[in-house]
Amino acid sequence: MASVTEYAGKRLLIIDDMPEMRSSLRSQATSIGFQKVTACGHLREALDALRQTPFDIILCDYYLGSGTNGQQFLEYLRTRRMIPRSTLFIMITAEKNHDAVITAAECMPDDYLLKPFTAELFKTRVERLLDRKARLAEIDAMQDKGRWAEVIATCDEIISARDRYQVDAMRIKGNALIQSGRHEEAAAYYRKINDMRPLPWARLGLSRALRETGKLDEAREQLTTLIAEAPHLMAAYDLLGHIHAAEGDSAAALQVLDDASRRSPHSLARLRAIAEVAESAGDFERVEKSLSQVVDKTRNTPLRETSDFARLGSALTATGQADKALAVVDEAREAFRGEAENPALAAVEAIAHHSLGNPAKAEAALERALQGGDLGLLPASAMLTLAQACLDSGRADQGQALLKQVVQTNPEAKDVHARVTSLMERHGSADQARKLVADSVEEVIQLNNDAVRFGKEGRIGEAAEMLTAAANRLPGNLQIVANAAYALLVALLANGHDADKLREAERFRQAVRERAPNHRKLADIDALWARLAARQNALE
Amino acid sequence: MSFQAYAALTIHDVKNRLATLANRAQARGDVDTVREALNAAELLTALLVCYKAENGWLGADIDAHAPIDLIEELAADSARLASLPVRMRPDVPGEVFFYDENLVRLAVNGALHNALRHAQHEVYIGARADERWLEFIVTDDGPGFPSEQLAESACPAGVSGQGTGLGLYLARLVADLHTHDGLRGVVLLHNDHGAHFTLRLPR
Repeated sequence: MASVTEYAGKRLLIIDDMPEMRSSLRSQATSIGFQKVTACGHLREALDALRQTPFDIILCDYYLGSGTNGQQFLEYLRTRRMIPRSTLFIMITAEKNHDAVITAAECMPDDYLLKPFTAELFKTRVERLLDRKARLAEIDAMQDKGRWAEVIATCDEIISARDRYQVDAMRIKGNALIQSGRHEEAAAYYRKINDMRPLPWARLGLSRALRETGKLDEAREQLTTLIAEAPHLMAAYDLLGHIHAAEGDSAAALQVLDDASRRSPHSLARLRAIAEVAESAGDFERVEKSLSQVVDKTRNTPLRETSDFARLGSALTATGQADKALAVVDEAREAFRGEAENPALAAVEAIAHHSLGNPAKAEAALERALQGGDLGLLPASAMLTLAQACLDSGRADQGQALLKQVVQTNPEAKDVHARVTSLMERHGSADQARKLVADSVEEVIQLNNDAVRFGKEGRIGEAAEMLTAAANRLPGNLQIVANAAYALLVALLANGHDADKLREAERFRQAVRERAPNHRKLADIDALWARLAARQNALE
Repeated sequence: MSFQAYAALTIHDVKNRLATLANRAQARGDVDTVREALNAAELLTALLVCYKAENGWLGADIDAHAPIDLIEELAADSARLASLPVRMRPDVPGEVFFYDENLVRLAVNGALHNALRHAQHEVYIGARADERWLEFIVTDDGPGFPSEQLAESACPAGVSGQGTGLGLYLARLVADLHTHDGLRGVVLLHNDHGAHFTLRLPR
């Protein structure tokens, strides 16, 4: 079924750390007709190339030397949306199951090539994969834009055409149902597929849908069976770990994630997840162990992240290694020159100096941390570190205000609440700690209830005002930010033009779009936006 | 580092060297050496998969695939390399079935190499399906499987004239990982004017 594929116009990026492999891959590619071939030996080079030109095909060796691998690179590209879904990513491996690299579907390569391979094999495979990409091109573009309703409709067309891509379409449709918040429907859909033929991705999808609909027991049960039957399905461990962690059972979460790490020891995402769970369990030795590995593996590579350093530093202060924490902060400042004023790093510095008995240095570092921009947008772990630095330095009010903000930014994350409680306990009483968490959560619930009630009573203007204030106070809570955008647009449609409100609505809409392009409320917000725009055009 | 880690790294390294060797041979048109290098690399892959299976880490990643893709790929891949013609049987299904394509490729490719070593004139590869089974088939016109291989069950054959027996062991592992509706995959060997290898999977 080989199709006539024009390779001459396709851009191919080859990534392999061995020069001889690079040149032989290049000559294989040119021998089958590729003309635009770029070959890179390092991730940094590859990233530069990707920033300059879009590539149609990326051929990446799994082993990249110096601690990093192709899977980590692919995860990096996908999570940062640096390559569209239309780009073909092919991983070259010594043995496909070697690192048990079955991860989240989003982070899977399009195919694996076992090395060594002939130019003929490469050609047949690429032809086949390009045929598939061509058939799914429209859906891929819609997925990139998060237009899930259209994705679902187009998948339905392919499914009813019953061609060879129908199972691909089924998989994409299930994910689209989840992405658009239609979780009950997604669960029913995955059940139907599994009744016909139990497939790992459909069983995993069902578990995701069950978790989203709050059926945690059933989700856990599904995942436990799935792991027993498909021990290489790493995404199942990760999901189960998340469920345990969100329920506050960090011991169970760590057990599952450790098990996954034994089978697939190189996943940065999992090492980071283990650190996160260990943080909420107060097991800072484990945090240190996991994040030291991440920092080592990513040292001098583009995959390193400031937050790894900050969290490692924070763990080191918790285990009484303040001097080491300061060294980590120094290394981070050296590595990320643009982020010398990162508030989380400065907060670690403050805590370390405090415990070393240097109050003046601690105070100076804390001042810098608190001036580090919009603190409400910091990740939870960074806000917690900052709050701890405040509490350590005797700034109780400021510390508690930050803790309240962390809880209200993450009102459903039990693991974050646990960390807030244990921090407060050390600087106050257990009762006070529990009360702070409970009151903060209650306030967010009350806010949402009030907004809904106002909306129902036709007092949409008041609802919008209340949500706008909350969104400005809690910019990291995207649920509130999205609701604020929605309410403002409804109010504008009901009450007529108001330039300030329109600006505010656009700002919130952009914030959601940038930070959560798949947010389930975005489609509704965009629809209101379009109605508003249409009406204004009609008036002009 | 453990022996396991060294072994994995070494296999990786050796495969890289075999790849280099194959590419150099390809460049000077030495097809025989290319074939030997690729076959050697294939054995190392099989070894890694068996190691994984030993440790209970091998799982089938079942998804929808069209057998015609795999058969065409294997036929095209061997067209330039093989010493004998590899022909496709007619009526290979173009619709999708459910199996782990990477594992099935390893198993069928192993059988294909074996057949090429023993065939006199030609080798056939193909696939066919009935209501319950999907079968991948490799046949040759050589002397057929030795009787002890026909008799033996799931154990590796040990070193013999047929190679190390790793290929067949791997094929059985792959078959065993494919289950559906109470049915389990199986490898069938028989002789009929040559060796007939069948990887039968529940559809």
